[in-house]
Amino acid sequence: MRHICLRWLAASSLLLAAMCTSAATRPRYGGTLRISTSAVLNSIDPGEAPDSLLRRNLTRLLFDTLVVVDENGAIQPSLADSWNSSSAGQRWQFTLRHGITFSDGSALTSDVVAAALRMANPTWRVISQGDLVTIELETAVLDFPAELSLSRNAILRRGDKLLGTGPFVMSQWEPRHRLVLAARDDYRDGRVFLDSIELEMGKPQREQNITFDLGRTDVIDIAPDQARRAAGEGRRLVNSSPSELMVLWFARDAQSEVERKLREALAMSIDRPLMNRVLLQNDGEAAASLLPTWMTGYGFAFSADANQARAKQLRTEAGPARTWALGYDNDDALARVVAERILLNARDAGLSVQTTLSASADIRLIRIPLTLTNERTELSELFSAMGISPIKLSSSNVESVYSAENTFLQSRRVIPLLHLRYVSGISASVQNWSVGRDGSWDVQEVWLSGRQ
Amino acid sequence: MAWAGDWDVTEQQLAAKIVAVTGAGPAAVEVTNRSSLGQTDVEAIRRGLLESLSGAGLKFGNTDSASVNVQISLSENVREYVWVAEIRKAAGAAATVVLVSKSRTNVGGMTHEAPPISLRKLLLWSSDSHILDAIVINGALPRMAVLYPAQIQFYRLQGDRWMEEQVFPVPHSRPWPRDLRGRLVLRKDRSVEAHLPGVICLGSTANSLSINCHEGDDPWPIGTDQSPLNASFAQTRNFFTGALSPGIGTQNVAPAFYSAAPVPTDHGTSWLLAAVDGRIHLLDGTNDVVLSKLNWGSDIAAVHSSCGTRWQIFSAASGTGQEDVVRAYEMPGREPIAVGSSLSFPGAIASLWTAPDDNAAVAVTHNAETGKYEAYLLTMACSQ
Repeated sequence: MRHICLRWLAASSLLLAAMCTSAATRPRYGGTLRISTSAVLNSIDPGEAPDSLLRRNLTRLLFDTLVVVDENGAIQPSLADSWNSSSAGQRWQFTLRHGITFSDGSALTSDVVAAALRMANPTWRVISQGDLVTIELETAVLDFPAELSLSRNAILRRGDKLLGTGPFVMSQWEPRHRLVLAARDDYRDGRVFLDSIELEMGKPQREQNITFDLGRTDVIDIAPDQARRAAGEGRRLVNSSPSELMVLWFARDAQSEVERKLREALAMSIDRPLMNRVLLQNDGEAAASLLPTWMTGYGFAFSADANQARAKQLRTEAGPARTWALGYDNDDALARVVAERILLNARDAGLSVQTTLSASADIRLIRIPLTLTNERTELSELFSAMGISPIKLSSSNVESVYSAENTFLQSRRVIPLLHLRYVSGISASVQNWSVGRDGSWDVQEVWLSGRQ
Repeated sequence: MAWAGDWDVTEQQLAAKIVAVTGAGPAAVEVTNRSSLGQTDVEAIRRGLLESLSGAGLKFGNTDSASVNVQISLSENVREYVWVAEIRKAAGAAATVVLVSKSRTNVGGMTHEAPPISLRKLLLWSSDSHILDAIVINGALPRMAVLYPAQIQFYRLQGDRWMEEQVFPVPHSRPWPRDLRGRLVLRKDRSVEAHLPGVICLGSTANSLSINCHEGDDPWPIGTDQSPLNASFAQTRNFFTGALSPGIGTQNVAPAFYSAAPVPTDHGTSWLLAAVDGRIHLLDGTNDVVLSKLNWGSDIAAVHSSCGTRWQIFSAASGTGQEDVVRAYEMPGREPIAVGSSLSFPGAIASLWTAPDDNAAVAVTHNAETGKYEAYLLTMACSQ
């Protein structure tokens, strides 16, 4: 077996991650993987908001879903080993795998599955019988299984504590601070190589760097704007595809044509390619679409280029306008510098924008994690994360999704800015660490060398 | 490369959508590739698109003379090829966008570059499923047995092809450990044994095939005909516990190890162990000596040949990029010496066992290019 490391190659001003290999050694059992992150969680319940990459990754360690989506976007069995639909996609029936147990040894039953799905999806009619779980939807959804792969649809049993069927069981939990997971010996796909995982949350980047350099942490976050520097320092990095959307989100729909025009002017004024080049050293993507091109295939058809002349023209046509208050997360250093750039671009177009730390901002600069499922589900989840009513798509084909996204973007309720990569620093002792294109961890094959 | 016919329908669909927007033309059309398609496919698609557009009534013009500009991008997402046409009816005007998509999984005729072939390895079998081990059973009717996690599959040689003969399931009540390992052993009486963690299968190949499996923790035979040795395998892990029978001299317990190879000497047989601690141990019946400065992997196997000292040790190690290599060593003294050139494999070596008759080894690799598991017979070749 090989283990994998990453080296960074500069090519056409893009940073690319390339695999390289070391000794052909078999995986070693044992050891604790120590992860440090700036993110925090109040709860590990996958049904709780807000969604985050950390929540999704921890959910996958503790809980399973009926199906999963592989790296090619194909649906694969997980707790369900087969499924079929009837009524043109309005009724779905899933057959559960045999022999699945929760971490307390109790068997997974269709009743438990149905209860978990009903709680996460009150509008679904979920029926359990024997090994079968039947889901009846209000409207037909031809690609419905993709929704069941979402972490909010993880199957868990709620009681004094949350019980799952995943490869790990929770052994210590301090909300917002610390989580310790222990490997399950009886996991259905075989015990993982690691004995345990220790996760420290809420750690500033500087503290993460220090503990990493001292050998006290194995995996740390690297902020997107620090990735090139970290690579230059010789850190071993693993990155995802651009899978986090940074977007300007207006608190309400445009109330008039004048307001829509002003928002259009703001969108035209922002130089996203320059932001990507200067702030991210070209390691992200300038975004004019909600979903990145690698997810949809069409993202490039939305132009991310600035057009100051058009922005000024629209600003002039709109007439008098009040100052917008732009809010952002004060702990997010990248958001702060992006906000400053937006202020400069807006001023050049004759727009007045001021930053604020108040919760009652007109516009918020937010970051939303994207999940690899299919275009329709991805877009639907994104709307949900932004607090916007999902658009009903007539079809799940790519042209329908493009049309829905285009219509929504023209409303200027949001202005996409950047698609960011998730970057992690990995210590030399961590073998087989890999992340999916959407940043999801694949911990099941990870093992530790040189430290037990 | 895909067959030209694979793209016909998609080309016609996009052409129809474009012409519905542009009318009969003239239009300037440009095709750009933003996907993983190769140049040959791109050229075929470009020609097909232009033919389909022409067939749909579009007249072509150059960028200067045509009032309509059509920019076609051959793009993709993780599931589909997505072809996007941005149609501008005036310079600087907003584009009308039309799209078509085609699943990436049902494009027929896709080919992969063949992995490099070495003269010192013979491909026995290739499978999408995880191959644990494979053995060739020579005789009037040559057979091959391949061990998979869920079954033992027998093949019979017909002409120059292995044809499926019979399948025997390998039942097991507990989940297999990760990095699952297994070994096939052919005894001199032509009986076959399959050893997996916590499961042993016994059978016969003498006349009709038969295999019966049961759960048990019998030690695995890890030696050769000349140097037999049995070792206990950890049922929920990927290594041998170190408990040996009948033992090496007075040594019945060794460090936990992944693989072992005998080293026959004038004074008996010593054993090399690729231990879980990452080091190579030499057990001579009395002493346990750690050999330093060896960049060996976890899998080693002994092979009897007509070359050099007659016994070589094959060791898996990492090569360049995603390649693994197998290198041969001899032990004229107490330190291994590399002999001959190494064999490269286009992926990780998942197992390496001494083959029946001790004159070869079987390496199973996970081809990084194709994703398939491949079982190779490895032999030493030398000038006589």
